[in-house]
Amino acid sequence: MKLKILPSHLRNKKRYLAFETLSEKPLNRDEVISLIWESAWSLYGSCGVSRFDLWVVKIWKCNTSGQNIIKGILRCRREEVGRVRSIFPLINRFKGKKVVFHTLGVSGTIKSARRKFIKES
Amino acid sequence: MLHLNSPGNYGGEIILFFDFHVNDDLKLVDEVERLGYGGLALFSNSKENKHENASGSGTSSRVNSIKIYKGTLIHAKNPEIMRQKVKKSRKKAHVIMVHGGDQKINRAACEDPQVDILSVPYMKRRDCGINHVMAKKAAHNEVAIELNIGYLTKTKYYRHYKVLSHFREILKLKRKYNFPLIITSDAKSIYDLHTPQDLMALSRCFGMERGEAENALSETPLKIIERSNIRNKVVVEGVKLID
Repeated sequence: MKLKILPSHLRNKKRYLAFETLSEKPLNRDEVISLIWESAWSLYGSCGVSRFDLWVVKIWKCNTSGQNIIKGILRCRREEVGRVRSIFPLINRFKGKKVVFHTLGVSGTIKSARRKFIKES
Repeated sequence: MLHLNSPGNYGGEIILFFDFHVNDDLKLVDEVERLGYGGLALFSNSKENKHENASGSGTSSRVNSIKIYKGTLIHAKNPEIMRQKVKKSRKKAHVIMVHGGDQKINRAACEDPQVDILSVPYMKRRDCGINHVMAKKAAHNEVAIELNIGYLTKTKYYRHYKVLSHFREILKLKRKYNFPLIITSDAKSIYDLHTPQDLMALSRCFGMERGEAENALSETPLKIIERSNIRNKVVVEGVKLID
């Protein structure tokens, strides 16, 4: 049976990071997740990453003009936004092909993250 | 594609960010503009004119809203050759960058006021490449020390600790002696470029405060250009020609 949801003052505060990925090779959701997790793990270790509460909420494929572009929303703990952001510059390769992650912005809800950073573009 | 970031707006104050180590390529200029930078310095990577190049030739004719500066990256085997090359290319470029790594080159670059940036002094070294003596000289001659994010990202993940510890050492010396510090991407393709906000977040990993990171991405490059603009008018140190 599912646990009863915690009262709001006991819940962890979350932030949603909208990101975009440019890559030479098309990536799928699992590959995006493994790239983020491996980079986070190599920089902060298991102990550090456990504090981030990372979760890839959703990704969108927005391929334009021959470029493989993926946009997505990554959930993390509010206090750790800075550290989570620092993971992205260290992702540079996937299976020998170049890849780059950029943060589009940070938002308090999935809805506003989509409206501000994903849908508009 | 949509522009990711407008120039940083922090409490009403607009901060222009600069990337002062970018390969001379049209795609990179467009991408730098999209990522929200205010300007960049282009360095050519071609081997035939590796030693002295007045780059930006292909891009200077284009109309961009960002400021594009010419840079010269100097590779030298010994300090004397370095000084000659610096002297020769000083008037051709806005930014003179010396490729460090060798202890003698690092020291000579710190002692030369004609040099703007000492690039990767920690390259292939077990230490950070500068000590307290060089730090004092760099502060006196306003030679900026480069924290090359490209060097960090291209290093294997199990060696990141080493580069981060070099950055920490440099930061420690910077806080003591107050020499200029600059963060660059050393981008050779669009996949090497990152937003200034991401670079600031990464700089926290090696103990940099937000203000220090902002200065390294904004204030130091502006000062380099300011110095470069008045350099022709300076007769001797402390004496300047006025129109």
